[in-house]
Amino acid sequence: MATESKVAPTEETPKIDLFEDDDEFEEFEVNEEWDDKEEGIDVTQQWEDDWDDDDVNDDFSLQLRRELESNTEKK
Amino acid sequence: MAYISMGEAHRRITDYLNRFSDSIFSQDALSLKQLISISSNSSSLLSLADALNVFQDANRLVKQSDRFSQFGEIVVPLLRCLQNYRINRLAEAYNSFEKSANAFLQEFRNWESAWAMEALYAIAYEIRVLAEMADRELASLGKTPEKLKAAGSFLMKMFGALAGKGPKRIGALNVTCQLFKVYFKLGTVNLCRSVIRSIETAKIFDFEEFPVRDKVTYMYYTGRLEVYNENFLAADQKLEYALVYCNPRSEGNIRMILKYLIPVKLSLGIIPKSWLLEKHNLGEYHDIVLALKRGDLRLLRRALQEHEDQFLRSGVYLVLEKLELQVYQRLVKKIYIIQKQKDPSKAHQVKLDVIVKALRWLEMDMDVDEVECIMAILIYKNLMKGYFAHKSKVVVLSKQDPFPKLNGKPVNS
Repeated sequence: MATESKVAPTEETPKIDLFEDDDEFEEFEVNEEWDDKEEGIDVTQQWEDDWDDDDVNDDFSLQLRRELESNTEKK
Repeated sequence: MAYISMGEAHRRITDYLNRFSDSIFSQDALSLKQLISISSNSSSLLSLADALNVFQDANRLVKQSDRFSQFGEIVVPLLRCLQNYRINRLAEAYNSFEKSANAFLQEFRNWESAWAMEALYAIAYEIRVLAEMADRELASLGKTPEKLKAAGSFLMKMFGALAGKGPKRIGALNVTCQLFKVYFKLGTVNLCRSVIRSIETAKIFDFEEFPVRDKVTYMYYTGRLEVYNENFLAADQKLEYALVYCNPRSEGNIRMILKYLIPVKLSLGIIPKSWLLEKHNLGEYHDIVLALKRGDLRLLRRALQEHEDQFLRSGVYLVLEKLELQVYQRLVKKIYIIQKQKDPSKAHQVKLDVIVKALRWLEMDMDVDEVECIMAILIYKNLMKGYFAHKSKVVVLSKQDPFPKLNGKPVNS
């Protein structure tokens, strides 16, 4: 019975989609223990807050420079 | 199903009933947990379920013995649940489980110590998972899925039973997390508010006292709520807590935390190192970070378009869309630096024409007025310091710190 009913209603499936949270947190086991000191994640190693530098030698900046210069020449 | 004799079925059921009452008498929560974890599909529960479908009159066995019958209100519906679960009648299975869970909660209230906590957690988990299965079944039959909502009401009742002064209160956060999962799935996240208020303000609770695993889950969900409410500083603090204390081996959960924490950090002007994106398979953020670094508005648009579905589904699309202002800031800053290298004396005057040209190069057609408007927003939001010389269509940048960094603060709103 259950298998039959699964095949049939294709129009109804969007409704079931209402009951989805793609990012449901996985359960931790009750006895799952971890030592956050030993293996804990060092947050400072993961992020950069001083990336906004004055360097304009990357490809994008070089192209931008070329673009601005060619435009001024046209004037 | 292999053939089971009546005698064998009888033996399996009696054995289960013995183990059930033993676990309560000896206050062995972990054994009890195994006996009520219907969805675990453990071999012993499955063979019990087969026995129940052979020996239809398990009720009589329960009633015959005082030892069993004192837990009759828990165990009889529990056995019926298992029986239905085995033959895939999931809405029926849910109904029976809810009856059993109510009776269990009644007993649990009378126990003074917190010995049965792990069993209670199992019930909180099972009722949610069984309700989800039941709702899927109901929806496929064209009926109204309503069991998950009912499970939510039951979990609220369970929360009430734990929110007291006694030792059972440390279980309140676990039940809260199950409630979050229910509400997020039902799309009724506003219902989270009352439990959050209780957890965060009731004097009986001391957040540090709760088990780490529940604190991590709690911070993940409340962090997501802060993202939806655009409280990026609070979201940052909560999701970072979840990340720091999460089991480092729990890869799936770490990835989920980062899925929300990355957009939050970006909105505060902080970018993830590229290894972090690679390690956790979060490539969808790669181009967004690159766009921010470059000042590349075209790349930002493309990246948002390419992963639109994904970002919309997780609810971070609006957060990412707002990064546009930071990308504008970066682009104007680059124009400014390039000018400065050419002629330092005039660098702080940026012609709107020049910005229009740069944008045209990035396939964004805007006229001078539109660009002026965006520059005004940048100045208003303190992403840029300066003023307009309206007649000459020039932005005059401040000579001191013309492009203030966010440094972990949100953009002014």
